Amino acid sequence: MSTEEFTEDGERKKNRYDFDRHTPEYRRDFEAVTREMQARCPIAWSDTYGGHWVAAGNREVFELAARSADVISNDHDVKGERRGYKGISIPPPTRAGRGGFLEMDPPEQRYYRRALNPYLSPAAVDRWIPVIDEIVRACLDEKIEDGRIDFVEDLANIVPAVFTMAMMGVPLENWSIYNEPAHAVIYTPPNSPDLARVGRLHERMRRDLARQFAEIKANPRPGLVNAVADMRIDGETPPDEELLGVLHLIIGGGFDTTTALTAHALEWFSENPGERDRLIRERESLLDSATEEFVRYYAPVVGNGRTFSADCKIAGTRFKEGERLWVSWSMANRDPAVFPDPDEIDLARESNRHAGFGLGVHRCIGSNVARTVFKRMLVQVLDRMPDYVCEPEGTVHYETIGVINGMRFLPATFTPSSRLGAGLEETLEKLQRVCDEQRLAEPVTARKSKAKI
Amino acid sequence: MKVRVDPERCQGHTLCSMIAPRMFELDDVDGHASAVEEKVPADQEAKANKAVGSCPERAISVS
Repeated sequence: MSTEEFTEDGERKKNRYDFDRHTPEYRRDFEAVTREMQARCPIAWSDTYGGHWVAAGNREVFELAARSADVISNDHDVKGERRGYKGISIPPPTRAGRGGFLEMDPPEQRYYRRALNPYLSPAAVDRWIPVIDEIVRACLDEKIEDGRIDFVEDLANIVPAVFTMAMMGVPLENWSIYNEPAHAVIYTPPNSPDLARVGRLHERMRRDLARQFAEIKANPRPGLVNAVADMRIDGETPPDEELLGVLHLIIGGGFDTTTALTAHALEWFSENPGERDRLIRERESLLDSATEEFVRYYAPVVGNGRTFSADCKIAGTRFKEGERLWVSWSMANRDPAVFPDPDEIDLARESNRHAGFGLGVHRCIGSNVARTVFKRMLVQVLDRMPDYVCEPEGTVHYETIGVINGMRFLPATFTPSSRLGAGLEETLEKLQRVCDEQRLAEPVTARKSKAKI
Repeated sequence: MKVRVDPERCQGHTLCSMIAPRMFELDDVDGHASAVEEKVPADQEAKANKAVGSCPERAISVS
């Protein structure tokens, strides 16, 4: 680097912040860090993890993620065939493999989204509501007579897992193969003694997914797996490793995130019983805005990495090709320039243009699934356990929020009441028949009608 | 008042149709929004403005 370049580099990176979102301190000090960065350096250079930019301000995140697709890349070039970009994780993951279309750029990325959209659109997800309600009902019935439940383990882990199986066209009973590793790979720190066990669980999941993929390729049955197996780009079938990466993205996107959102909302309602009563009274008018507000405030996916694919100047900062960037959805969602009282939850918040599902062409493709599953869990809990109280001493949040703002345990007590139907195992057997007979996992282009239970 | 959704900017966040379901329809296949009619009924203008303010992609405009 010449002296001139060195000086220029120092000038470009003059707004510095020592940003490490993988530490417990970042979780503890999240609101203070957010306030400081937004006031002093809404775009900052951090030397952590090999050096990268951090976008913390709402306007900066918006300009970068929603308006700069031509100079920003999600590509993860795992084999070094293109420009060696590292995808969406900072630091890059130790596991090999590309994270599906979230680590691709258009036009390649668009082929995948086009293939999956008709399974995940609002109209497509609406058809499933009777099935989702039945899974939730069975989960609550397992605990309703006891007066005790762990909202994470007994509800918010199970429903997204079972429903993802249903949409994929994988046997519902297999949910338990996927459930633990899907969460544990997120919350288990790299130095944990439990890492080997989590690795074995993950391997078991990987094998089952590969087996489902092979089976469905040989004998097609409807669902997301079939949509992926049928993928063509310019008439060519992409390599299996790319397609399996997409299936892992569906699992990764569909499990831990909705669990995190639901658990946090239920915890908040326990701490704010007046607001819970208000939602129960005004559900019709408040459920949508409350849901968006929880996505804003708790933003399960806290951000994404990107790589600049050209020299450019955005929101007043000059960037160079190849430099890495962290766009923080969770910090953008707390910017007082856009959200009055950003650190308060307002169930009726208006103009809630949050980035909780990301911004731009990579908007969370499962956002409609997340909202629907969240709402169906929440309303049944409020209907059947309206006086629940969470136990802070047994509540466990993820130690760090570097990837997912998640929860492991949320025990609660409530006034017991009667079961309404069969338990989970029997219910899943029945729902499997319903899925198969009505071919529920077909895309909305093939089947418009709602599931009948 | 006229309302328009820029199809290049809309990414299918669906907040507009939650606020004003009669004004914005969502595509069955990808969930992207479009205005049912360009002209906004007088009694719906406040809702149109709320939809503008809620769009994460700033894809909706009124004139």
